[in-house]
Amino acid sequence: MPQFDPEISRMVVVEEDQAQISACLQRLMADSGASYSMVIDRAGQILASESDEVRPEMVHLGALIANTYASTQEMARILKEDGFKTLFQEGMKEKIFTETVRGRWLLVVIFDKQSQVGMVKVLARRSSAVLANILDLVERRSTEVNSPRFRQVGKATIDTIDLLFKDDGCSDDE
Amino acid sequence: MALINVAAREIHGKIVYYGPGLSGKTTNLQYIHSRIPSNTKGELLSIETETERTLFFDFLPIDLGKVHGFTIRFHLYTVPGQVLYERTRVAVLNGADGVVFVADASRDRLPDNLQSLRELAQNLTAQGKRFLDYPLVMQYNKMDLPQGLPTPVLDRYINTVKVPRFEASAITGKGVFETLRAISKLVVNKL
Ligand SMILES: Nc1nc2c(ncn2[C@@H]2O[C@H](COP(=O)(O)OP(=O)(O)OP(=O)(O)O)[C@@H](O)[C@H]2O)c(=O)[nH]1
Ligand SMILES: [Mg+2]
Repeated sequence: MPQFDPEISRMVVVEEDQAQISACLQRLMADSGASYSMVIDRAGQILASESDEVRPEMVHLGALIANTYASTQEMARILKEDGFKTLFQEGMKEKIFTETVRGRWLLVVIFDKQSQVGMVKVLARRSSAVLANILDLVERRSTEVNSPRFRQVGKATIDTIDLLFKDDGCSDDE
Repeated sequence: MALINVAAREIHGKIVYYGPGLSGKTTNLQYIHSRIPSNTKGELLSIETETERTLFFDFLPIDLGKVHGFTIRFHLYTVPGQVLYERTRVAVLNGADGVVFVADASRDRLPDNLQSLRELAQNLTAQGKRFLDYPLVMQYNKMDLPQGLPTPVLDRYINTVKVPRFEASAITGKGVFETLRAISKLVVNKL
């Protein structure tokens, strides 16, 4: 199983990266006829998504897929396999195909019976290779970005946290 | 791994509630879910056994609000505490930016707390994290029970690493938001 660099604790995705990832996802969808695709990190957070329609349920789906994938990696460890590279769920209406990107991110493709499974698999593998190059760069740059802008956001967030949960209806002296 | 999406103007973080079986991890998330305004939270997703023990995880996405134009979004998870699910805990812990260790303050659960804490340290180390610098807070839960150990005793045995710790009774909500605030700040501090 690939090891994660312990020094990298964040990914910073800028507009340019987003555009590149989106272009890759759009091409994949156009070529395969899929209706939805997204790139998530191993924590299940969505880095980018492309869709025919708005699908808010994808936040939960991302969490489930990331955990399911992490869980299959543990299965692989028990079986002394290198790891499983894909997941596949087949429903009556929709199918979900997930392919790892360098073992650090996941490419998720959702499609219906208008698309061929074999085709989706081949195209997803190809897209995964393209995404790997993009994301490697994003990751490398993220370790360098030590922007005061984020520090500022961090400080302000801490103040917001104090305000936000104060009004929780349960004073701590209850 | 915190995700800062400048394009979408969002910052994401993952917080995991860890601890021995029945210590009250799920109860923490249920309380948070019941108390925060609906426009700042998503649905609480629970994958559990027939007896309401966590089988895989609970998941609750919450928004901490907008700061400098960035939406701060945290994903809260619980692990399944039962001993059998050790490998599942490893999976759910993957990519966490911070951990809340929920200890059960009951006298007879002290060994279980210690074992779970040791396992957490091992799992974080296996993920390449330095346990001693890792964003971690502790919650001494079930302080409402008469058979609970007093805080100084819990401090001595469980909190040897001396991280921020909070007395709680998750079932009534006492200490739940205090704990969440503390871990949120530690995670944001690491940005
Ligand atoms: N007295 C008391 N009971 C509590 C408290 N918090 C939780 N409980 C009870 O403890 C039991 C277990 O709580 P859960 O939140 O399901 O425990 P868990 O840590 O999620 O357990 P697993 O999913 O098996 O790991 C439930 O019956 C809760 O109602 C508390 O503060 N005081
Ligand atoms: Mg639980």
